[in-house]
Amino acid sequence: MEWLAALTAGGLAGIGMWLLLDRNLIRVVLGVAILGNAINLGVLTSGRFSGTDAAFVTATTVPADPANPLPQALVLTAIVIGFGLFAFALAVLKSVRESHGITTTDRVTEVTEEPAPDAEEVGLQVHQDDADVHHNEGQPEGLEVRR
Amino acid sequence: MLTAVFAIAFAALIAPALSRRFDDRAGWVLAIPPAVAFAWFVTCIPVIARGEDIVETLTWVPTLGVEVAMRLDGLSLLFALLITGIGTLIVLYAGAYLSDHHHLGRFYAYLLLFMMAMLGLVLADDMIAMFVFWELTSVASFLLISFQHEKSVSRRAALQALLITGGGGLALLAGLVLLGFAGDSWRFSGIDVTAVESSALYYGIMVLVLAGCFTKSAQVPFHLWLPNAMNAPTPVSAYLHSATMVKAGVYLLARLNPTFGGEMGWSMILIAFGATTALVGAVLAIRQTDLKRLLAYTTVTVLGQLTMLIGTNTTYGLQAFVLYLLAHSLYKGALFMAVGAVDHATGTRELSRLGGLLKLMPLTGAAVGLAAFSNAGLPPFFGFIAKEFAYAGLIQMGITGWIVTIAMILTNALLLAAAGLVFIRTFLGPRGHYPREPHEVSLPMWLGPMLLAIGGFLLGAWHHWPETWLVNAAVQAVARGEVDVNLYLWGGVTPALITSLITVALGVVFYRFRHQVRLQIARWRVFWGVSGDLIWDRFLKRIFALASLTASGFQHGSLRLHLTLLSLVLSAVVFVSLAIGGAGLFTGGSYTDLNVPSIMGSILALSGAGAAAVMRGRLALVAALGASGLGLALFFLAANAPDVATTQLMVETLTVVFLAFVLRSMPAIPRVADEGGISRAAHILISVLFGLAVALALLVVVNVPLAGNIADWYVQNSYPGGKGGNVVNVILVDFRAFDTLGEIVVVALAALAAATLLGGGQLTEMTRKGEPEFGSVMLRQAVRPLAGMLVLVSLVLLWRGHNLPGGGFIGGLVAAVGFILVVLSFGNYRARALMWVRPTLLVGVGLACAVGAGIIGLLMGEAFLKGLWIFPLGLPLGTPLLFDVGVFLTVFGSVMHMMQRLAGRPV
Repeated sequence: MEWLAALTAGGLAGIGMWLLLDRNLIRVVLGVAILGNAINLGVLTSGRFSGTDAAFVTATTVPADPANPLPQALVLTAIVIGFGLFAFALAVLKSVRESHGITTTDRVTEVTEEPAPDAEEVGLQVHQDDADVHHNEGQPEGLEVRR
Repeated sequence: MLTAVFAIAFAALIAPALSRRFDDRAGWVLAIPPAVAFAWFVTCIPVIARGEDIVETLTWVPTLGVEVAMRLDGLSLLFALLITGIGTLIVLYAGAYLSDHHHLGRFYAYLLLFMMAMLGLVLADDMIAMFVFWELTSVASFLLISFQHEKSVSRRAALQALLITGGGGLALLAGLVLLGFAGDSWRFSGIDVTAVESSALYYGIMVLVLAGCFTKSAQVPFHLWLPNAMNAPTPVSAYLHSATMVKAGVYLLARLNPTFGGEMGWSMILIAFGATTALVGAVLAIRQTDLKRLLAYTTVTVLGQLTMLIGTNTTYGLQAFVLYLLAHSLYKGALFMAVGAVDHATGTRELSRLGGLLKLMPLTGAAVGLAAFSNAGLPPFFGFIAKEFAYAGLIQMGITGWIVTIAMILTNALLLAAAGLVFIRTFLGPRGHYPREPHEVSLPMWLGPMLLAIGGFLLGAWHHWPETWLVNAAVQAVARGEVDVNLYLWGGVTPALITSLITVALGVVFYRFRHQVRLQIARWRVFWGVSGDLIWDRFLKRIFALASLTASGFQHGSLRLHLTLLSLVLSAVVFVSLAIGGAGLFTGGSYTDLNVPSIMGSILALSGAGAAAVMRGRLALVAALGASGLGLALFFLAANAPDVATTQLMVETLTVVFLAFVLRSMPAIPRVADEGGISRAAHILISVLFGLAVALALLVVVNVPLAGNIADWYVQNSYPGGKGGNVVNVILVDFRAFDTLGEIVVVALAALAAATLLGGGQLTEMTRKGEPEFGSVMLRQAVRPLAGMLVLVSLVLLWRGHNLPGGGFIGGLVAAVGFILVVLSFGNYRARALMWVRPTLLVGVGLACAVGAGIIGLLMGEAFLKGLWIFPLGLPLGTPLLFDVGVFLTVFGSVMHMMQRLAGRPV
């Protein structure tokens, strides 16, 4: 069964990546969900499926060959967190669509990105240089400080 | 000592509040800590003069053996006196100078912060502590230079100073760490000199330390920042950029002189750099027409001379170093403060406009006169003794000394001319043209310069006093061995005296013919074309260009390129490791048998996902994704993971609902084939490679049996240790409850963030009607009992989850599904009414329950989140159950919070 799980996880991962590479944001969000599923399955697979029974014990009996409970616990929370992530991605999708009216990935950057606030200043540095002190003779610095 | 440092730090903290309350009178209060510290250091003079050191230690990081060790020796004492003494005067002066500035409190805070850092720097014996204080002075200097931050010149100067001194600081840190290892001690006083000298890293350490010191003390070619730093208010220039901070580099050179001052190049480097700096500074100084910039360049000169004097390592040279340090701090502090006062009173600092001020500002004038005499190195002022000893020290060195001496004569003559400009041009001669009517400044503004200038005179005239009490101990601290100290004003006709005379004569000539001198200097246009500042700007620009080039290569803003790179690298790593591992990785290990549900699950998962990848209809997409998730749930069930399967089922249901809600407002999805054929082929290739890599990596993993027996441990200890039969749930709420706590916090945060975005950042109105698709009466009637049942089931799942499939996560999701049915059929107003409280409150209560379950453990004297149980009436109640209730509420509240926003109509 492990090889089937590995191939399924691989297949899901490939499909997820294919969707993530798409230009349409809706497909990207779907890709997030599918890639998440692939990874969950991968984690569970790495715990092996050797057990014949689910991991339940009683006060007196312990199953002879239980399934590995640790990856199950990890994946269980991962699924819920994955849902949180998916919901957030959906929210971003919705909000991008509402505020910019677009649903393509590469355009989002162009539309939303603003130049850094001080990008201009780098080019406009004032040269307070030895050689040109003479130019501002009679205009002493620091007038603001004085009363 | 520690008390002094702490007291000044405390003063920095209360400064803003105090100055809001008392305006500029706050200065009188804030001057008390430095003044008291000064008095304390004065009382230390006799002890230090006897040749003893005062040591105090404070444990800092006990586990690493790091402590703040403070050690007061002659050199430290000299600096400490200067810092606290001049500092007190500066605090008073600043109050008057910036009396009506609206950020005076902030200024005091920065100034005192700097004072604390500088004091710590000179007192620290521990190298790391010294470095921390060193960097603090750079930061304080940055804040003070940029104090008038609305001016771009100030900001630029501050950044330049920070980058240069900070860059040097990094080199210094590396140097100090290497020195600590090579010298086998983290204390300056404990360095093993022979070990350092025989270390292979000797030259590396030396270069790194020198880089730090030279940048801080503005040696050529790092001198750029100091004149620009004059954009700071004058008290800062007087204090940081002449009297104290710029001397930190010189201080460290002196401190390390006993370590490096052997016959291994240290001296030559110091002399070469120092002499060059001195000459460059003097030539540039004489060209300035702004008084403050003129003084700044003379400071550069003096710093060069001080560096050079350490390098001489002769008896006279080291004495001259200490004398000059003291003399310069006194007269330069005085001159800066006085120039500030002139600026304050007349409104200009331009030499061409000044003149005849002595009548108008007699007290300031007197102070400047005294200080200028000391500056010029005329007897009987302290500056004269310093200069005499400097010459004597150089001449002691032989041939090299003579060459440097000639350079020094020129430098000192230029300095003398500069001093003349400051005093004669400004205060004597015909009255200048002033933007406003000059007046004598207030007491705090002339007191500082006057005290410092008189100090310079007294120390020179009664030179036995400093000799006995200060200079001797300081020289011993700098020198490699014992040195005799003997100061004199008149030592007979010596070569030094003759050199002095030549200097004075030359200086007078320079002053008399200053215009010609300036003209001559201005002729060397070639050199003035090579402006350091211009180079610096270009250098900075190149760095920015390089940075943006590098950044834009990786941070191009294209999600697809990021993912392409990421997945290709990941695939490549897997394939390369497989190629290295070879066929041995696949020996066909023992796999468990296939069963029908698992095959069906796989097919469903893959075909659903595949369909979602190519279909265009929005409803079809949602259905396909749901089918894929269901297939996965089936697979989990086949793999003996009922809890995981249930969770997957619930999450898939919610996913479908959420997706449908969002997609209904989206435009149609374009066909996949709309993109170009090449990029489509590339995407297919990338995806196939990625999928193959994941599959192969997993196959390699499962090829070998699972290592370790951690699974077995959990199964065996689940009931004895966790009182629960459902091992997965026991792991979640007991064994690894702390992880789970972090995870539900993540869920809650994601929900809060997503909900805000889902509502479009606006308030939404609750709907009183269900979705039109759920309008059928039959359906609505059926939903009621179903929703109620789901909620009941969720509570049962929560309760039994510790022993049977279920638990907080699953329960919370099931309850959420039940309520979502209500939202869809009757609108979210109804759902909210049924819930009684806001979903966010549920999230909060849930997290509180989870944390509270942990705190109970703490209260009982056990570890955080320790599982504790009681059995009233045979009911198993325990902190893990409370924790699970917390998980239930958090998950339920989070989902409902998002749902409420999603279903609401914008107001």
